[in-house]
Amino acid sequence: MATTEKSYPRFTLAQRLEHWVMALSFTTLMITGLPQRYALSPWAETTISLMTGVETVRIIHRIAAIIFMLVMIYHFAVLAYKTFVLRVPMTMMPGIKDAVDLLDHLRYTLGLSRKHPNMPRYNYAEKMEYWAVLWGGVLMTLTGFMLWNPIATTRLLPGEAVPAARAAHSAEAWLAFLAIIIWHFYWVHFKFFNRSMFNGRLTREQMELEHAAELADIEAGRVPPPPPPEAVRQRQRLFTPVAAIAIVLSLVGLYFFVTFEETAITTIPPAENVEAFVRATPTPTPVRPPTVTPDLALISEVGFGVDVSAISHPIAGREECRECHGLEGPLPYPANHEVFELTDCQVCHALDGAKPGPEPVRHSLVERELCQDCHELDLLPQSHQEADFNNRKCLVCHPPAD
Amino acid sequence: MKRSFIWVVLTLFAALLFWNPPPALAAGPPAQTGDQQECLACHSRPDLSLEFPSGELWSVHVDPETYQNSVHSQEGITCTDCHKDITDYPHPPVEANNSRFYQLEHYQVCQDCHEDVYEESLDGIHAREIASGNWDAAICTDCHGAHDTTPAGEPRTKIPETCSQCHSAIYNEYLESVHGEALVDENNTDVPTCVDCHTAHTQEDPRTHAFRLNSPTLCATCHADEALMEKYDISTHVFDTYVADFHGTTVTLFERQSPDMPTNKAVCYDCHGVHNMKRADDPESQVFKENLLETCQRCHPDATENFSATWLSHYEPDLNKYPLVYLVDLFYDIFIPAIIGFMGVVVALDVGSRILRRNRHTPEETNTGKGNS
Repeated sequence: MATTEKSYPRFTLAQRLEHWVMALSFTTLMITGLPQRYALSPWAETTISLMTGVETVRIIHRIAAIIFMLVMIYHFAVLAYKTFVLRVPMTMMPGIKDAVDLLDHLRYTLGLSRKHPNMPRYNYAEKMEYWAVLWGGVLMTLTGFMLWNPIATTRLLPGEAVPAARAAHSAEAWLAFLAIIIWHFYWVHFKFFNRSMFNGRLTREQMELEHAAELADIEAGRVPPPPPPEAVRQRQRLFTPVAAIAIVLSLVGLYFFVTFEETAITTIPPAENVEAFVRATPTPTPVRPPTVTPDLALISEVGFGVDVSAISHPIAGREECRECHGLEGPLPYPANHEVFELTDCQVCHALDGAKPGPEPVRHSLVERELCQDCHELDLLPQSHQEADFNNRKCLVCHPPAD
Repeated sequence: MKRSFIWVVLTLFAALLFWNPPPALAAGPPAQTGDQQECLACHSRPDLSLEFPSGELWSVHVDPETYQNSVHSQEGITCTDCHKDITDYPHPPVEANNSRFYQLEHYQVCQDCHEDVYEESLDGIHAREIASGNWDAAICTDCHGAHDTTPAGEPRTKIPETCSQCHSAIYNEYLESVHGEALVDENNTDVPTCVDCHTAHTQEDPRTHAFRLNSPTLCATCHADEALMEKYDISTHVFDTYVADFHGTTVTLFERQSPDMPTNKAVCYDCHGVHNMKRADDPESQVFKENLLETCQRCHPDATENFSATWLSHYEPDLNKYPLVYLVDLFYDIFIPAIIGFMGVVVALDVGSRILRRNRHTPEETNTGKGNS
């Protein structure tokens, strides 16, 4: 029974924390990044909408990216410390054995071999994933920088580099997402639930299946001895300042990465500088400048269409009222009529067809040049008294009968 | 005898039925449209004017010929159909302080016949400006005329001319644009006039975020229309490629999710110009290659020479145009299926073998040294 419960240390607390911080930032990058790749598909729109809009999504994405890059800096620092100071074996280095293990494993799964490969501390599946994350992390950092700082990028590179970086950033993200879902989730969640990132340990059964070679080393006591403290201290004396400088430079680089350029103005660009309301000059449909102002009171005094005298003579042959009627002349009209056009008379003065109109001249005009010779003023009707009926003007109203 | 009496009664009744009482001046010359002739007797005089209480002199001349040619005259609409307050002479005193107030008081009468359009226009920017006290904003008669109303939009050149009465600066820009030139020079019926983008009655305020965000869709109504664009050899991918890119994606998301929020990402007219847009190969165009950087710099003030090429100019990358982007896409089109395919195969084999072995080799498990089964 003791053997079943025996477990083996796998990850230190620091490694587990590192993993979870990275997992958190990675997940955040995926949740905020993939919807940008597929921005206009319904699920992406919903996701973006849940995060209150694409600008928020981009801010979250960038914060997660900063955390991811900090984890990478931390990881490289630890890696360097372990390699140069503690000089622990580089168990993540891929080698021929990993390729052999892969092939052996495939043969085993295909039933071509009964022997499951004895795999080392980090087996081929884990190494693949580690290097994929490393490669992906570096590529995403580089292309991310180009997208974050396109103006700086195009100072050195052709413009096309930016959309190319966008294509790579987007496709690489999709690859990483699929790899995590298929590869990582299978090996550590579905095949069996690997608790080493929670409690730091693997069971013996899991060790046998995935790290049989490491298990054999542990059981045979082939564990590398801890480095002598004196040597470590000596190496630290060189490592600490170099690492400090490297870390500071990295952090400065990260700060530069984030704040390097103000890519665009934050306000809405001025679309055009044209005033909207500018009246055309001159006005295309000008109001005719009024020249005469009729005395409206006077017109109302005259009346309009009510109680006016009817025209008492036929119109035919007398269309031009002005020939007889005028302010002055043979048949004057009231002074207040001055404002009217004479052709408009019939608007107010209806034609009374019942009246016969002026009598025609029924006698010959031969040798009767002056009407007044016979038709003395006194004998004419009252309406004719004030008119000037000299000569032949009578004939205008009293035409000769045929 | 009795029968003929009935006929007489019927005839009289029929006569009564069809007898129109003569207008007041039936004795005058035959009036072709009732009171129209009566009013024109005075109002045809070019010098007839009116003095508003403000002291403003206003011509009340109506050119008879213009009126005869108006749609209203031809439909038999007469003066008092609109000037309902005038039934007689002397006319009731004018209460409006000036000509504009008179117009504002009277244009409401249009809705008697044009209720739908009137209601619609209440949503428009002009009606809203009027409601907020901007008396300069256009009312029905400012665009359609009062006595010279002709069929709307005929000829098409009249549309921008109408708008130019108040928007002359924009009109001058439009005349210089590829659209305006085609309209005026070629009488082209495909190009948009003002109302195609702004609508005639329900104009949105084009300064709103909502209008800005919707504007690419507006341009796309023509520029994504294949039949229409084919005539001019213009690509209909301009809209797709815009939407697929950073600016277009952002604008589209904003439009769908928060149409009243501002975004600083460019829309079509930020690059191509608003009213003065020109062909991309016109050296005066804002998007002409040599002018492009300057256009980018309006939003990206620090941009340098190569920056403008970060935008693929509506092209879809291929080996000739933007080969780097094309190759990156091609690489991942192969790389992703290859990697994921490999992983899938390994995982599938492992799953398969584990299931098979669990079923087949359960008794043999002691051989592997496991003590827990």
